[in-house]
Amino acid sequence: MKYLDKSIIEIHELLKQKKVKPIDLVEEAFSNIEAHSDLNAYITLNKEEAIREALELEDKEVDNILFGLPIAVKDNIVTKGLLTTCASHILDNFIPVYNATIVEKLKEKHMIIIGKTNMDEFAMGTSSRTSYFGAPKNPWNQTKISGGSSGGSATTIAARDVLFALGSDTGGSIRQPASYTGIVGMKPTYGRVSRYGLIAFASSLDQIGPMTKNVYENALLLNAIVGTDPKDLTSADKEEEDFTRLMGKDVKGMKIAIPNYLISDIVDQEIVNRIKAVAHFLEQKGLTVDYIDMKYLRYAVTLYQIIAMGEASSNLARFDGIRYGHSKEDPKDITDLYLSTRQEGFGEEVKRRIMVGSYLLSGENAKTYYNKALSIRDDMKKEFEKVFEKYDYIIGPTTTTTAYDLTDPMDDPSKTFMDDVLVIPVNMAGLPGINIPVGFDKNHMPIGMQIIGNSFEEAKIYQLASFLEKELNLDLNPFGGENNE
Amino acid sequence: MEEKLSREEVLHVANLARIKMNEEEIEKFRVSLKKLLNDVEKINEVEGYDDEILIAPWSSECKLRKDEVGEMLDPKEVLENAPRHSGNYIQVPVVIGESEGA
Amino acid sequence: MSNYIPTIGIEVHVELKTKTKIFSNSTNGYGQMANSLTNVIDLGYPGTLPTLNEEVILLAIKAATVLNCKIRRQMHFDRKNYFYPDNPKNYQITQARTPIGYDGYVEIELNGEKKKIGIEEMHIEEDTCKSTHRGEKTLLDFNRAGVPLIEIVSKPCISSSEEAKLYLEKLKELLFYSDVSDCKMEEGSMRADANVSIRKNESDSFGTKVEIKNIGSISNVGLSIEKEIQRQKELLDRGETFKAQTRRFDDKVQNTVLMRVKETGNDYRYFPEPDIPYLYITDEMIERVNKTIPMLPDERRIIYIHNGLSDINANKLIQNRKLSDYFNDLLDKNIDLKTASNLLLGDISAYLNKEEKEIKETTLSIERFMQLVNFYSNGTITSKNLKEMINLIMETDKSIEEIIDLSGVQNITDDNKIKEVIEKIVKENPQSVSDYRMGHDRAIKFLMGQVMKETKGSLNPKLAMEVLKEELDKNVN
Repeated sequence: MKYLDKSIIEIHELLKQKKVKPIDLVEEAFSNIEAHSDLNAYITLNKEEAIREALELEDKEVDNILFGLPIAVKDNIVTKGLLTTCASHILDNFIPVYNATIVEKLKEKHMIIIGKTNMDEFAMGTSSRTSYFGAPKNPWNQTKISGGSSGGSATTIAARDVLFALGSDTGGSIRQPASYTGIVGMKPTYGRVSRYGLIAFASSLDQIGPMTKNVYENALLLNAIVGTDPKDLTSADKEEEDFTRLMGKDVKGMKIAIPNYLISDIVDQEIVNRIKAVAHFLEQKGLTVDYIDMKYLRYAVTLYQIIAMGEASSNLARFDGIRYGHSKEDPKDITDLYLSTRQEGFGEEVKRRIMVGSYLLSGENAKTYYNKALSIRDDMKKEFEKVFEKYDYIIGPTTTTTAYDLTDPMDDPSKTFMDDVLVIPVNMAGLPGINIPVGFDKNHMPIGMQIIGNSFEEAKIYQLASFLEKELNLDLNPFGGENNE
Repeated sequence: MEEKLSREEVLHVANLARIKMNEEEIEKFRVSLKKLLNDVEKINEVEGYDDEILIAPWSSECKLRKDEVGEMLDPKEVLENAPRHSGNYIQVPVVIGESEGA
Repeated sequence: MSNYIPTIGIEVHVELKTKTKIFSNSTNGYGQMANSLTNVIDLGYPGTLPTLNEEVILLAIKAATVLNCKIRRQMHFDRKNYFYPDNPKNYQITQARTPIGYDGYVEIELNGEKKKIGIEEMHIEEDTCKSTHRGEKTLLDFNRAGVPLIEIVSKPCISSSEEAKLYLEKLKELLFYSDVSDCKMEEGSMRADANVSIRKNESDSFGTKVEIKNIGSISNVGLSIEKEIQRQKELLDRGETFKAQTRRFDDKVQNTVLMRVKETGNDYRYFPEPDIPYLYITDEMIERVNKTIPMLPDERRIIYIHNGLSDINANKLIQNRKLSDYFNDLLDKNIDLKTASNLLLGDISAYLNKEEKEIKETTLSIERFMQLVNFYSNGTITSKNLKEMINLIMETDKSIEEIIDLSGVQNITDDNKIKEVIEKIVKENPQSVSDYRMGHDRAIKFLMGQVMKETKGSLNPKLAMEVLKEELDKNVN
């Protein structure tokens, strides 16, 4: 009996009626993961603990819709007692003595953490190939990438191992892999979800978000993880809300803006065509669609390179082999300890970004690059705000291509940024953005569309997303019925 | 002819980041770092923006915490996690010279 | 040696007296077992984030206020990035762009003249951990990591080692009195660095600056500045130059010793702290803080002296904050303040020191102390009596009058009783009486002695003398 293929509502009912137990779900999840082990979606499986928790839950009341459900957590989120590596050699022995706030929230909802998913090292990358543990594979075509940096979470959801996964998004790392693997990935408004326990890459950009196979489950998971956290001063002062509340409500009359830059020749024509088709479809359903110009979008990658690498160079300075993590054996002196620990512990992409980041912050460069970037960032955000005065949504493709080959050369350092050109502006402005699958390319690889909303309007995003999901009614199972009994 | 940084420039930046480089790495980074640094030059093309900065898209001001003691770690945990420790102390190879930041 | 004009600037780091650290709620403590006062934030574990201690902000506002600084209303933090083992995140959260206080001053008095020493800025930052060198190893104790500090940077307008010492004394007094810090240089809760340069003329630009660190006491600040000025004078007189450098004060050789030559500008790669949003200092916060500022030493000095205390006693009292606070409660009461201060600094202090108590730990309430002062002023009790009664006074709740009764310290002030005793002595000593009448003053002293012996010293001597004289003169007629 395959329970995890059912809808969340069905599973919940079965649990309430005691027709299925959490241990059944956990065992099924592990069996799925095992069957798909060559997809390399996980760095660590939480077998013993998950089973123990599942058995413990049998005595507890099924008190919420996520009760007893297994969830995969990206390996840059700190889990107490469970290896947390950030897909890096420098933390490959790190067992935290504390939990991220969202992990506490998952436990409050009695969800069961099934394992830690694979990712780009320290979330730096767009294909998860910088992982110390090798890249995860795209279930739609195992020669292709799943994207990054939340590639492992995307893979496990697309492969239908589990219903729920968490990723993190600094410059598109949830939405982009969601696009490549045909799943739903939401980056919430900056501050929606506590960052306490998310191993920092770029503090002013990072957010944790839900990755699921459909919009409803995505909203349910977001419900569980949001909330102001006194341990995170950047977390927003927002009351709890039900993000599913606008789903199913009429979208007629909504105004949509499509920035011309997002469908310019930087995007594959096939993808542009698909987005335009969707736009046309929405017009037919009574929404208005305008094509607009936004001046600052094209500079988002440059700003990101400066701000994200600058912040990262500082955030990753703490990895020095002194208080935890990998440490050079028999260092000659303290300098050797730093230099060698970090040479041994970090991969090439991480080193590159730390070095460029340090450089951009040093001496006069801070003024020329960093401070300038902060000024332009302000204008970029204001430009978005102006657009949202007139429009309800901004939409466009999520990625410039569909998933490319795992063997594609990795020697162009700019590429890892350009893969995210369409999604980075959203992090710059701190806005919420979702990827929903809207079609396939000629090789049947998923095409994703991004819906961007105004600050804290995730519920509204889900409204349009669920409408489209229902209307498009795509078959998003990469195994085409293999998992069905 | 590929644009490259000089060896010295790479070593300077590697030192800022406290990352040791072998010869092979230096050569690789001469090219890739130059590429990225060229990328960020695009920032000089931007015009017409104002001086106001956005450090992060915070949605509220800083909240203050009450001055009350919370949970602390058991010293054993602190020491167990540290690669080197001696007695109750975390240990590092001897440090010569004062902190540059003091 | 030619004449040079020294320019001195002082940087002081002061640990704030809070219960918890600035960016985490670990205990802000001292002298505890190593690494017992830390949490994951203090240790810079991955994924941890800073929170901001309210008390730190309030104390910083208080410090800025007593140092006459302007207060920054939109305040923020910056990261100062550098690698060092005592720096758990390899960056320190500090304030570079928006120090909480700026453009302040303190006033010192040297040789009767007052001078304002300007304060460039005062900012908040976190302390590093403590490192001890032991042979081939350095040992790290993270208890101190994250302890809240304020750094006070003076303007380079101090012109002598004397002024420097007075400046530090003044800072210490103000910050101690306003309960901002313990200001104990020997424990490290107050640390001073000095910057010294010299030049020939006021019109010249400043000379090469030398920084002196690791100075463990205020007197050593003075000494190290003097030695450094001397050293620089000698070099310049010989036509030599020197590089900007950092030196430390070496107690053993009682002089400054080179630590390192300054490289071209330390590259701290400052950038605004993204993990902490702007903090807005409101009028309400400032008012709340102002209410907690007690009467400061200078004002106390003026009032005490105005009320008849000597300079010495006024200063003695001020040096003992708790006694001074206690004394302040008497200022609006109708008692002899001079006597009160004498009692406090005398027998009461003797008791407190012996018993190692604070005055608040005794039963000597203001009301009872006032009773005591009055009985003392009017001669009912003497210093000798006080010493005998001190335990009852300081350890029980009995009224002073009751204690006087109980102690059998009957300093007899009852006129009849006095007359009784005097009459008896006069009757019993006719020889002395006639001696006195014959003009021998020693006789009256003898008679007084007898009176005292009879009453076991429990007569008010003044009163007794008056009555004795009256009695003796009476019978003449």
